[in-house]
Amino acid sequence: MSAAPALLLDAVYKRYGRIKALDGLALEVPAGTVFGLVGPNGAGKTTTFAIACGFLKADRGTVSLLGDGPFDPTRHRGRITALPQDAALGRDLNVAEQLAYLGRLQGVSARAIRGEVQRILQLVDLTERARDRTRTLSHGMLRRLGIGQAFLGNPELVLLDEPTNGLDPRQAHVIREFIASQRGQRTIVVSSHNLHEIETICDHVALLERGRVVFAGPIAQVTGRNDEIRIALAEGPVPLDAIRAALAGDTVTWDEKARILKLVFQKQPGRTAEDVTGTALRVLLDAGARISAVNRGQSLESKYLGLPDATPPPSPQA
Amino acid sequence: MFSPTPLRDILLVAGFELREMLRSRRAYSVIALYLLVATLATLAFVQILVQADAVVKNPASFIIGGRPGQGRGGILTPPPAIASAPSQAVLFSRNSPFRGLLSSMLTEKDTLAFILSKPPIALFYTLISFMTLPFLIMITSSETIAQEHQTRGVRFIAMRTGRAEFVLGKALGQGFLMGLVTLLSGGMCLAIAAWQLSDFEWGPGVSAVLLFWPRIAAYGAPFIGLAALCSMNSSSALTARAFSLLGLGGMWMIHTIASVYNGVDVPPILNLLDLGVPNSHQNALWRPDIASVGSTMAVLATLTALYLAIGLFFYRRRDL
Repeated sequence: MSAAPALLLDAVYKRYGRIKALDGLALEVPAGTVFGLVGPNGAGKTTTFAIACGFLKADRGTVSLLGDGPFDPTRHRGRITALPQDAALGRDLNVAEQLAYLGRLQGVSARAIRGEVQRILQLVDLTERARDRTRTLSHGMLRRLGIGQAFLGNPELVLLDEPTNGLDPRQAHVIREFIASQRGQRTIVVSSHNLHEIETICDHVALLERGRVVFAGPIAQVTGRNDEIRIALAEGPVPLDAIRAALAGDTVTWDEKARILKLVFQKQPGRTAEDVTGTALRVLLDAGARISAVNRGQSLESKYLGLPDATPPPSPQA
Repeated sequence: MFSPTPLRDILLVAGFELREMLRSRRAYSVIALYLLVATLATLAFVQILVQADAVVKNPASFIIGGRPGQGRGGILTPPPAIASAPSQAVLFSRNSPFRGLLSSMLTEKDTLAFILSKPPIALFYTLISFMTLPFLIMITSSETIAQEHQTRGVRFIAMRTGRAEFVLGKALGQGFLMGLVTLLSGGMCLAIAAWQLSDFEWGPGVSAVLLFWPRIAAYGAPFIGLAALCSMNSSSALTARAFSLLGLGGMWMIHTIASVYNGVDVPPILNLLDLGVPNSHQNALWRPDIASVGSTMAVLATLTALYLAIGLFFYRRRDL
């Protein structure tokens, strides 16, 4: 896999009339990662995807895919695929024919296409509907077919816009498991409103707000999963001094209002998060503290909702 | 602009387009309507031929008349050559009213002789195809790319091939479809003639239909180009159809106005515009010589390419 970022956008601007969709967006997706793109409605996620895929042209800015410039079907055919949001496949051919057509266009040989279509049908659990016209499929099945076509062939970069939207919980789980299993084999960029989903399947994340990236990085870093422990305490004693003494060199803070003890520890060889947790819990239990919950870091949702003001400062171009 | 395998992609898109159209209820409805109109018109025309036959073969219709009143009511025994002649359904050349009508319309003797030598049913098939095919194309072909924009289905394709291949494949698929439809309507015309006309001969009829069919196809091609131009630059099927029909109307107006001038003092701009519409090249497709018809077909192919190129110029720049 190439060492260059799978997707690179730098100072990208896009307007729809008076509406500023992207406002100097800068985003770098490392190759081989499962990358989550989160943000509220209208944040610019779908526009970012559309510009990356070449559906829309940026007003200005730099876009590069797989280190090979902006999207070009000549250069990127078969290497980049996408599940576009709200796009519908033709209605009059059957499921297998649709997949075969897209696969052939993508460069899958006539000899290999049959097996490839079977693989994808199994992947998205549509084997039994292979001969049915797409017009007869339910919304969820169409969504699965859309996901399936994005994994035809052997793409290096797959862009999935709200992939599990409209799927039942079982199917959503299967798709999430599949996406997570692709880590290291190809780069997958997933946009979603479902922060739990992003946290489950992605190893990197970026939050978009009003056409800009508010924060981005590895999930573990963003949520503090690798160096932060949060202990929620019920009413009762809080032996802060004893904990600070036991965890000398680490940062211990106490949020009285939320009753959360936050431990940010120094990573050292032979010292794991479990060791730090064990030390802290022993001190707390010895002091008679009542423990409600223990978490590694904070959830992505808490991080997202806890941002004091995710709104970026006004841009000089405004 | 083109992918590494443009021809392969164009053929893939065209094949898919044709298959999809052949399973589309809407396409079936429009084509069935076209064939119905062609059938009814052919039936009406065949009845005219039957009447013409009756007139020619009735001895009472041969009236002496050098001066007013002279020989009125006189009956001439039809000459043996006429009594034993094939039906008028086979040839126009033996029917003086039709011959007179065509002579007044066509000034080129070679063309007149060529047309008079062909079975009327084949001529009628060609004429009605020239008249109605552009409407069929504008109604069906104009929607095909715009529909993909409306549903955003084009986004699945745009990641896999170039925009030019997509458009050319769609246009080619529509060309295949229209070719099939016109061939089918030719077969229907012949079948109706065989059913209604006692003296109908399949051999000359089929060969004449096959002679004119490529000319009809060539005439339809620029209209497919125009439909694609409108379709690729519209966001909805309805808009594309409206633009296409407006375009068709515009072409008809340009040619009509240019025809009114009848080659005399035609303003240069109008002359140029007239050359750019397929309607003005229709008459040349009736000519007998292959060279003349071939050059007209080349002009029509150039017009098709021009319309597609104009459409693609804008299409390459638009958001999908």
